[in-house]
Amino acid sequence: MIVNGVVIDDTFSEAFSMRATRVIITAINFKWARHAAETMTGFATSVIGCKVEAGIERMVGNHETPDGRPGVSVLLFATDSKTLEKQLQTRIGQCVLTCPTTAVFSGMQGEPDKQIALGKNLRYFGDGHQTSKMIGNKRFWRIPVMDGEFLCEETTGYQSAIGGGNILVMARSISQALLACEAAIDAMGMLSNIILPFPGGGVRSGSKVGSKYKFLSASTNHPFCPTLKGEPDSALDKNIEAVMEIVVDGLSKEDVFNAMHHGIEAVCDLGKSQGIEKITGGNYGGKLGPHHFHLREIMHESYTRYI
Amino acid sequence: MSHTLVTYKGSTQMRIDMRWLSEALNQSSSADQVKSHSIFIGNQQIPIGDLFDISADDFSDSVVLENSHDKMDYIGFELQAKHKIKVEGDCGHYTGAQLAGGKLKIKGNTLDYTASNMRKGIIKIDGNCGHYAGSAMAGTKKGMSGGTLLVHGNSGDFTGDLMRRGLIMVEGDIGDYCASRMIAGTITNLGGIGKQVGVGMRRGTLLLPHKPEDMSTGFKDYGRHNLGYLTLLLHELRRFESRFQSLHPMRRRVQRYQGDIAVGGQGELLVWIG
Repeated sequence: MIVNGVVIDDTFSEAFSMRATRVIITAINFKWARHAAETMTGFATSVIGCKVEAGIERMVGNHETPDGRPGVSVLLFATDSKTLEKQLQTRIGQCVLTCPTTAVFSGMQGEPDKQIALGKNLRYFGDGHQTSKMIGNKRFWRIPVMDGEFLCEETTGYQSAIGGGNILVMARSISQALLACEAAIDAMGMLSNIILPFPGGGVRSGSKVGSKYKFLSASTNHPFCPTLKGEPDSALDKNIEAVMEIVVDGLSKEDVFNAMHHGIEAVCDLGKSQGIEKITGGNYGGKLGPHHFHLREIMHESYTRYI
Repeated sequence: MSHTLVTYKGSTQMRIDMRWLSEALNQSSSADQVKSHSIFIGNQQIPIGDLFDISADDFSDSVVLENSHDKMDYIGFELQAKHKIKVEGDCGHYTGAQLAGGKLKIKGNTLDYTASNMRKGIIKIDGNCGHYAGSAMAGTKKGMSGGTLLVHGNSGDFTGDLMRRGLIMVEGDIGDYCASRMIAGTITNLGGIGKQVGVGMRRGTLLLPHKPEDMSTGFKDYGRHNLGYLTLLLHELRRFESRFQSLHPMRRRVQRYQGDIAVGGQGELLVWIG
């Protein structure tokens, strides 16, 4: 399939099952809510080394937040609910509780048996001065802090999710690959229920499953490294000088599918004239995960408008 | 939604135990079954069918009780979720006691122990309610433990005595000893309040429009604050059709008093300011 001169590889990108939760961080203004959210989602690019993948989903207006203040919606993904809970508590405790004027609320209802602690254990920071408040059928904790009270909901829900959906953009130069990725990231960033966990949404160190070293579970995706183009198993043509990956985590298969569609479409809008040669996916022969996103299936709908 | 009409046709001045009505609803009994049951009026057993007309063959989820009066006790007792009783008149003692999720709407007034030991659901009273609203029934150590009691009129003394959880909203005045021995929960009003507010209060919140003239001596002034959770609480208060909807949703500045020190309490008495 060729869209606007860009070759869409006949492959699929592999993704794996995860558990996800959403929290809403509010503050006196967007500036402080964002400070808390950015700190909380720092060092959360990949479960390989960070145990959790997290990102800002969107800014939330004061008419949508529980306490009527500006807020930020944050999504966190981990491989299991226990890790998710631990990471959530650590990050809320160190990055949100500490941030001036913030409060944190559950952003996901979840089934009654799919709840993880949010303020449930953080409350002990109050050293006995903490108070709980049941409002409706939700319990909140009020922890005295130096700017007043830190308000947090007791629990938040979690759900099954998908992590690791991806596209790889191949271009004739680094600047052209970056330009294409930025366009894709901007398009995908408009969507809800997904995050792009890597720095700015892009990845230059795409990884493959396994390594020649037994102690490593993942290593550089060498078939896509331009400096190794001469290797027999290189996946790159001679005119490709840069490959960038965009990884997407989503709450459902549909969310990841939709995000990939928007991303690929944005890259194809730039087209071959902008140095974009090919789009492919991270296919590891089924070793990475059970969810397969076929690129040509994703692009099937929009294909006709380029013909 | 269709409802079952239950009309009192008797004339006794003795107290009537109305627990049969909730039982009929909770167990989805047929009207014939219910009519054949007897209840004690004084020392006499009288079939329910002799005292009440029941409009339908079976009880639907919703009942309208007509011609009620303040001698009828235990209306809505242990009423479970999905069930609803609308009372076209006054009610006696223990109205909505141990309510377990149902809805109770009363056009008139209620007597003492309204919503005592209530667990879930909502009670709306157009008139006034008596003493010990939301409190503990005799022999129990904890009062209301959930749900909402909305009184459009006034409530009597000892409102929220031993209250454990839940929300009491009173549009008018509250009598003496409000929130006495309160364990947790929220009580708010828009009118005045009587003597010895919060005596023996351990936790919980009293949210008042004016500083009480006679507060328990065990309360200390903790200063002025903007409390974030009040926005959430106001959102909850404004859900109900009442004068509480006139409160601004972002109002959160209060003068805070904490007590009752006499029992090591951390209850808070908040007075709106600004």
